[in-house]
Amino acid sequence: MPDMRTNQSRGGDMELLRSVAEQLKTPLAVIARQVELGELAGDIRQVDTTAIRTQATTALTLVESYLLGLQLLHQQTELVLEPVSVSSMLVDVAHELEGFAKQYGTGLELRIAGKYEPVMANHRGLKSALLSLGYALLEGYPLQGRKLTLAVHRTPQGIVTGLYGEYEHLSSQQWRRALELQGSARQPFAALTGGSGAGIFVAQTILQAMTTKLRVGKHLNQHGLATTLQPSQQLQLV
Amino acid sequence: MANILLLEPDNALANTYIKALEQIGHDVACCATAEEALQVLDDFRPHLVVLELQLTGHDGIEFLHELRSYPDGQNMPAVVNTNLPPQTLRPLLAVLDRDLGVKVCLYKPRTTLQQLIRVVKEQARA
Repeated sequence: MPDMRTNQSRGGDMELLRSVAEQLKTPLAVIARQVELGELAGDIRQVDTTAIRTQATTALTLVESYLLGLQLLHQQTELVLEPVSVSSMLVDVAHELEGFAKQYGTGLELRIAGKYEPVMANHRGLKSALLSLGYALLEGYPLQGRKLTLAVHRTPQGIVTGLYGEYEHLSSQQWRRALELQGSARQPFAALTGGSGAGIFVAQTILQAMTTKLRVGKHLNQHGLATTLQPSQQLQLV
Repeated sequence: MANILLLEPDNALANTYIKALEQIGHDVACCATAEEALQVLDDFRPHLVVLELQLTGHDGIEFLHELRSYPDGQNMPAVVNTNLPPQTLRPLLAVLDRDLGVKVCLYKPRTTLQQLIRVVKEQARA
C-alpha cells in the first residue's frame, strides 16, 4: 500500500519548491542588474547597495523559511509550542521588514492596542511565517505611498495577528482558490501578488505545523491575512 | 531619445531599469499595474512600451489588447520583458506577434541591462 503521507509531502514539496523558485527570480534579478548598472556606468557609486542587501536578505529569508516548511512537511522537525509575546514579535518583524518596505515605497505601521498575554506558538516558526508573509505582500502588492499594518487584536476565538493593508478586493474565496492553485499556477493569488506568492504559502505551511492557519481577515477597515493564536494558559495562571 | 512606458510590477527592479534607461537619455514613466499604465498613456505619449505580462489585476496581454484599441496605441512598439519562462511563453508568441504587434519577447531573468538597452534602442527607432 502506498505511503499516503509521503506522497502528500512530496506533492507539497513540489508545490512549495515551484512557488519559491518563481519568487526567487526577482530578488536575484535585482542583484544581478544592480551590479551590471554599476559596471555599465563605470561607477560603483551607481550601485544601490541597500537594494542588493535587502533583496539578498529577502531571498535568504525565503529560502530559510522554505527549508523549515520542507522539514515540517517531512516531519524532520517539529515546532514545539511555547509562550510567545506577539507584541514583541511584531515589533521585531516590523524592524526586519523596514528596509524592504522602504524600497517598495510602503510604510509600516504597528497597531498593538493594549496588552496581550503570551500566545502558544513557536518563536522561530511564527517569526519565519510573519516575515515570509510580509516580504511576499510588500513585493507582490506594494502599497506605494501607503502603509502595511502589522496588528494584533483580541477576538472570542483567540488573539489574532496579521498583516493588513488596502486589500479590499481580497476574499476568502480567492484565498481558498489560491491554495488549490498553489504550485500549478504561476500566479495563484492574482488579487494579492503578481508573482507566485511563495512567501504566503510558506507561511501557511509553517503555521499549520503550529496547528493554526492563515485566513483572510479584516481589522479596522483594513484587509489582509491573519492567524489566530491561543493565549498561553500556563502564564495566565502565573 | 525616446519616451518609454515601463510596466514593471517590482519596484526594486523597476528602479534599476529606470536608472539604466535614463542614463542613456530616455525619459521613463513607470507603472506597476495595467490600469495605471493606461492612465499614463495620454499625458506621457510614449514611443515604446516595455512590459511584464504577470501583473496584479489585469495582466499584460489584457493591457496590450486595450492599448491596441486606442488610435495612438495601434502602432506603438511594445517589448515584453517577463519572468514567464520560454516554455510557457512559447504558445503565446503567435498571439503576441500577430494580434498584439509584439516583435520582441525577453526572458527577464536572463536579460542583461545591455540587451534590454539594445532592444529598446532598436524598437524605439522602428
